[in-house]
Amino acid sequence: MSLSKPVTGSLLSAPTVLYMAVFFIVPSLILFAYSFWSAASYQVVPDFVLKNYLGSLTSPLFWKVTFNAISIGLWTATITLILAIPVAYYLVYVARSQTILYLILLTWFSSYLVRIYAWRTLLGTNGVLNTVLLQLGIIDHPVGAFLFSSFAVTITLVHIYLPFCILLVVASLSEIKRDLIDAARDLGTSSIGAFCKVIAPNAANGLIGAFMLTFILVAGDYVTPQMLGGSSGQTTGLLIADQFRKTGNWPLGAAQAFLMFLVSLAIYFALLTAGRMSGLVVHRPRKKKEA
Amino acid sequence: MKAPTPIIEIRDGKKSFGSFVALENINLSIHEGEILTLLGPSGCGKTTLMRLIAGFEGLTSGTLRVSGEDVAAVPPERRPVNMVFQRYALFPHLDVFENVAFGLKVKGLAKSEITERVKRMLHIVQLESLANRYIDELSGGQCQRVALARALVNEPKVLLLDEPLAALDLKIRQHMLAEMKRIHAETGATFIYVTHDQDEAMILSDRVVLMEKGRIVQIDRPEDMYARPKSLFAAKFLGETNLFETAVADSGAQGTVAKTASGIGFLSRNGVGHKTGDKVVVSIRPESFSFANNDEGSSQKTQGQVEDVVFIGSRSFYTVRLDDQAKVRIQVQRNGRVKPPEPGSRATIYWDADNVVMLPQA
Repeated sequence: MSLSKPVTGSLLSAPTVLYMAVFFIVPSLILFAYSFWSAASYQVVPDFVLKNYLGSLTSPLFWKVTFNAISIGLWTATITLILAIPVAYYLVYVARSQTILYLILLTWFSSYLVRIYAWRTLLGTNGVLNTVLLQLGIIDHPVGAFLFSSFAVTITLVHIYLPFCILLVVASLSEIKRDLIDAARDLGTSSIGAFCKVIAPNAANGLIGAFMLTFILVAGDYVTPQMLGGSSGQTTGLLIADQFRKTGNWPLGAAQAFLMFLVSLAIYFALLTAGRMSGLVVHRPRKKKEA
Repeated sequence: MKAPTPIIEIRDGKKSFGSFVALENINLSIHEGEILTLLGPSGCGKTTLMRLIAGFEGLTSGTLRVSGEDVAAVPPERRPVNMVFQRYALFPHLDVFENVAFGLKVKGLAKSEITERVKRMLHIVQLESLANRYIDELSGGQCQRVALARALVNEPKVLLLDEPLAALDLKIRQHMLAEMKRIHAETGATFIYVTHDQDEAMILSDRVVLMEKGRIVQIDRPEDMYARPKSLFAAKFLGETNLFETAVADSGAQGTVAKTASGIGFLSRNGVGHKTGDKVVVSIRPESFSFANNDEGSSQKTQGQVEDVVFIGSRSFYTVRLDDQAKVRIQVQRNGRVKPPEPGSRATIYWDADNVVMLPQA
């Protein structure tokens, strides 16, 4: 006797659902509860206050670092996506090679921290970038601003998340057959026209997904801003981490985490709306085929 | 009288991918308004030849002219040809109307003209009622017609069809073949049709280009290619046939006589240029054999034992084992005049010299 579809489905998804329930949903709910508690001298007191939210929303520092995080996130995601699309296009439609994709993913085998330190070396006052610019005579004294800035954070995050973004774009382009490019060209578009008129609209959901995933990971990243951001490159992630690690104000950190979550959600919907209004993302209700 | 300029002309065409030679010695002239089929087994280069004409590939050497003009440097978007892709390649983000309108929009035609032409084309392919459906809401046959309409609405000089019926089931395929002939008559475009299906090629084409291993082996009208194959490959690829290994015994004004090792003689009026002693393969179609001597005097005959009979409605297929153990397939049309032999009985089989084709050994 075979199991019915719903039963098979539940059995197959049970381990993941259970794992996510225990290690994600429950902790998230606990965190959500925490966000209404209060903290006093490194002690968390069960309570119901809105001051964690209201305090953050009225705090200039919170908005400054949030703006920073969003700006770094948007810049990084934008640059990453722009760089990833041609590479992914090449991998999917021209080279059709898995080897190159593996080589790109190989960069993940190097430690995240090592790469951050490498960028410190490259961007520092005695770093490679400054040395080259000095030698070329473009600058006459080392520029300290390369390091410990949003610029340094962005350039490093692009480096770290580019392979990830390429992987996502490759996945979304792989669903679109090469035939469609040929068909578009056969009907009179150039190859760039074929990308804009046929590939991009069909891949739009995947591309927005790649952008948003990169954005969320980057906006929440707190290690790179901590190592390379300096005082001007602080982000919400770092602020939240500090509430948990340094000041011990868990309720405030929890509230800020949820605020950041809402901000990300808002940006996602803003992007989707923009995409639909520009006609790039086609939204249509999937009609059920009549049996 | 000077022949009109062919719409497509390929001279000494060669295409290689790295060290792999996909096409070689391609010489082909395609006339305006004809339906030409590129027929051959998979891997014979027929799709590559079509993609060359469409502009997706370039010749390694040789020339390709469209209406007398060398198009080596012309990209696909600027060639007066349109293509129907094997798996249709319809745009999933657009509905039927927008799919068909795509090429006209790219050309920047006025909206009213686009609407008019798309509507007319949807009428021709009988899809007016589905204009606002998306592609994933269509059946295979409907997709096929959208693909045809999307290509034809641009009024191409040449329409390329890459195995357009391969993904459809038999019943729809036969219906679509008739549709295709009707649409061809209605539009007057030149059709170049790629297929590995001999039946499609026979039904549809004015001329068939038979290909094997990157070369053109024969260009002929379908009935001529069937009746007068020029090679063993052509005889075997188109339809069913009986083959006999023979050697030429005599060659004269009457025709050529070739004999099998066991002594069965075949007289052919089609074997030209064979010398006595040449090894040739004799090809005789199953329907060219008969159990009755229809044409006194000219018929040749041999004997064998009827082994098996398969009835297929109006026809029957007999397997006859000749006295030298060779098996022959014979197709007999049902009629009341001649009583066909019973399985197990001995029978005399007859054939006519006109239907004996002598082919060089492969």
